[in-house]
Amino acid sequence: MPNIREIRERIDSIKQILKITNAMYLMSSSKLKKARKAFDSTSPYFDALQTTIQDILVHTPHTRQVYFNRRENIPPEKRKKGYIIITSDKGLCGSYNHNIIRYAEDEIAKVPDIKNCYLFVMGQVGRMHFASRNRSGDKPSVDGEFLYTMQNPTVYRAMEVAQTVLSKFEADELDEVYLIYTDMEKNGTYQPKTVQLLPFVRIHWVEGADGTKKKLPKASFLPSPEKVMESLIPNYTKGLIYGAMVEAFCSEQQARMTAMDSATTSAKDMIKDLSLLYNRARQSAITQEITEVVSGANGLQEN
Amino acid sequence: MAKSFRLEIIATDRVFFSGECSHLVVTTIDGMLGILAGHEPLVTTLPTGELKYMVDGKWKYAAISGGFIEVMPDKSIILADSCELPEEIDIKRAEEARERAEEQMRQKQSIKDYYLTQAALNRAMNRLKVSQKHFK
Repeated sequence: MPNIREIRERIDSIKQILKITNAMYLMSSSKLKKARKAFDSTSPYFDALQTTIQDILVHTPHTRQVYFNRRENIPPEKRKKGYIIITSDKGLCGSYNHNIIRYAEDEIAKVPDIKNCYLFVMGQVGRMHFASRNRSGDKPSVDGEFLYTMQNPTVYRAMEVAQTVLSKFEADELDEVYLIYTDMEKNGTYQPKTVQLLPFVRIHWVEGADGTKKKLPKASFLPSPEKVMESLIPNYTKGLIYGAMVEAFCSEQQARMTAMDSATTSAKDMIKDLSLLYNRARQSAITQEITEVVSGANGLQEN
Repeated sequence: MAKSFRLEIIATDRVFFSGECSHLVVTTIDGMLGILAGHEPLVTTLPTGELKYMVDGKWKYAAISGGFIEVMPDKSIILADSCELPEEIDIKRAEEARERAEEQMRQKQSIKDYYLTQAALNRAMNRLKVSQKHFK
């Protein structure tokens, strides 16, 4: 027979947790609304950016521009690979962080030599994860000065991130740069995704929103392809990182909202089960007391 | 009625303009560049600057910061970090940004920071210029 007091305490503590998860649910749903708005207003730019760059690259003549340098003379095991990984700042958002971190680790495991792997982790959770894994054995190195929050992405922050990786690429500290983030689908589902940022590979382009491929006439570049690419590619990289940040932030809020919603529901279920148990225990206790009183009275009468 | 072409101006936070336009003048690295219907395919970058385009025989002005333009036979696309109409510009905010940037320029800072501040100052000055010129 479970103790009545114990059950009541348990119900009380679940009620407290319920209050928290419910509040977090409300908060994340209002944050999601905001993030959705940002996502919706950014996605035309994000889509147009990708299709336009695709178009431009079709018409780009051979160029010696530094961002197109594939450095094919470096063997695969010596290539320094950089990964920008976008995680969240806080936990309690279901499998969101778990998914992206596991996905990133799978990607990193593909690198032939782990010592040539450099991580740029955005968001507290991912940073903690990779930093703590870093202490034991051969692990990829995490840039300790790469500290960026994931809350409310801004173009300015994306620009700083883009400049960090571009300057490292220019200085031969990185030979390839990838971006790992959580992609938000139109129907509200999300999944981790990798995009190659550098160097520019022309066949590797993501198709735009409409998915069409058009044959367009050759374009001229003013003042020269190199000059145009010099400012266009940092701009594109920044735009892509910003878009990824917005999508990841939106997915995070969505994940948190779902997680908190299910936590609230299961807390309610538990309270229901426990109150049933509590009532039963109370009733049986009362029944027992009555039985005791009655049998006591009967005993007195017999005497 | 002059021939018109399709123009799309997309900023990071919104679609600024999408529609028919008969004449477009942008500031490029080398100076002003005018684009009419039937312009040859062209790609160039746009630094922080001013932009004007003619819709229904009327010039419209905008302040643009950092982006690029792709001119194609069927349409032209401008992708920019931000794009604002003169009347949308918050003069107070731009002035504050200018003062902040000027103050930072006086400090000794790294080359990277210097360029960032310079870019910020450029954006603030451009906003002020466009807003003073076209919005009184």
